[in-house]
Amino acid sequence: MNVDGVIDIYRRVLESEDITGDSDFFELGGDSLLATRVLSGIARVSGVELSFDDFLLAPTPDALAKLVSSDERHLNTADGAR
Amino acid sequence: MRVIVIGAGLAGLTAASRLVAAGATVTVLEARDRVGGRTHGIEVAPGSTVDAGAAYLGERHTELLKLMADLDLATVPTGMRGDSRFELGHGADTRAGRFPPLNAVALGDLFEKLAEVTAAVRPDAPWASPRAAELDAMTVAEWVEREVPHADARLFFPLFLGEMMAADATDVSVLHMGFYLRSGGGIRYLNAFEGGAQESRVDGGAHQICERLAAPLDVRLGEPVVAVRAGGDGVTVHGTGGNGGAYRADAVVVAVPPVLADRIELPAGPARSTAVTAPGCAVKVHLIFGSPVWREHGMSGWSVNAHGPLLSTVDDSPPGGAGVLTGFVTGAEAHRYGALDPAEQRASAVAQAQRLFPFLPDPVAFHVTDWVGETYSKGCYAALFGPGDWTRLGPALTTPRGRVHWAGTETSTEFFGLMEGAIRSGHRVAAEILSTY
Repeated sequence: MNVDGVIDIYRRVLESEDITGDSDFFELGGDSLLATRVLSGIARVSGVELSFDDFLLAPTPDALAKLVSSDERHLNTADGAR
Repeated sequence: MRVIVIGAGLAGLTAASRLVAAGATVTVLEARDRVGGRTHGIEVAPGSTVDAGAAYLGERHTELLKLMADLDLATVPTGMRGDSRFELGHGADTRAGRFPPLNAVALGDLFEKLAEVTAAVRPDAPWASPRAAELDAMTVAEWVEREVPHADARLFFPLFLGEMMAADATDVSVLHMGFYLRSGGGIRYLNAFEGGAQESRVDGGAHQICERLAAPLDVRLGEPVVAVRAGGDGVTVHGTGGNGGAYRADAVVVAVPPVLADRIELPAGPARSTAVTAPGCAVKVHLIFGSPVWREHGMSGWSVNAHGPLLSTVDDSPPGGAGVLTGFVTGAEAHRYGALDPAEQRASAVAQAQRLFPFLPDPVAFHVTDWVGETYSKGCYAALFGPGDWTRLGPALTTPRGRVHWAGTETSTEFFGLMEGAIRSGHRVAAEILSTY
């Protein structure tokens, strides 16, 4: 999943077009309830389930996309080893 | 013009006040021996009053804020600094912030689905929503069964619904849930303290709004109304209380909850409630301490609990005074708790509070306010519309029945169930009467 995918989810959940890769979710008025909706959106698109604590440490689309792709690589490795 | 207002809650008093300001002669009839309806202050320590009923407000509650300014009442912010406690089935957890230790993706899936339902509702006329028939036919319990598969979301959802609407999932239609959440400003706004509908309280208690509105008005307490009869070019309102009177008027405002309105003998017309219109199930518990002890331990006083009686607790301490821990007992748990005797109610609530906050001493005082059993409220926060209710009741929600007009938070499609909704209904009905007679 790339940054644009996460930005799209931010736009939908925060109901704002004004989102870039380095937008901080909580500075844009996001709260824990809306954060879970972002995590749900990411899981639906990528299959990667991040935790709420992951989100707190990576509250921008850039950082979340990075987390997702490292998790995806991890998932692929795990699949390959099976 | 002469108007009788039935019910001295926020809606009735707002209407009366507007009508008097426009030159009408108004008498307010109230069944209880106090004004305030579902706002009620109880003195928990000398000079310290807490809200036994409606308490919270936010920035979007513009009419309430204007009214408070007119009445010279101030807000106090709800304090939420510190850690939260959670008892969600596997011991007690302490967490920073309000997020429960549950699967975040599962909760996110739930909130995404709730957002979908909320967006599907037409807020000004829920019964005319595109999917109204489907959403009104289904209970929220059936919806959860179908749409919410994850165990963590199923554990959390009843607590959320209890907090938001004081409802049990079997009591409300999906349409009503979607409408309620939408009407209150959306899930996020309704759920939030800071920046949301629980941002502040009324300094000294919300009941003061009603007391100050009532002060210059002609309000007759202890005067339950049994009948309103139309005749000639007016109506007669029959009370049974100390005044025992029959009151003649040009128009009547019925400003009581729908189930109570239906108990009054009124000129014929569509009912205000049905057999499945349920009472809002809220019991409010107050544990009073010398000071807000939890703050010294880095706790906010906020907790969310899978098992009762206290499904959530919040710090409602008045500034600089006693420590007030408010416990909410909602939904089905409210019926169970309401059936206990007072000693059991106290013991179980105190035991739970001390499990959540082990440093708590025994409270110096303890208060239970059971709104479900209140004869002249029949529930709190608001009436719960069951399956089919919006389809049957919605179209006539505000339609006058001859000279009988309707007010009350349940007649407001904006901020339904909240103080703001009550006030807006009072303004609407006053304008309606002033333009008719």
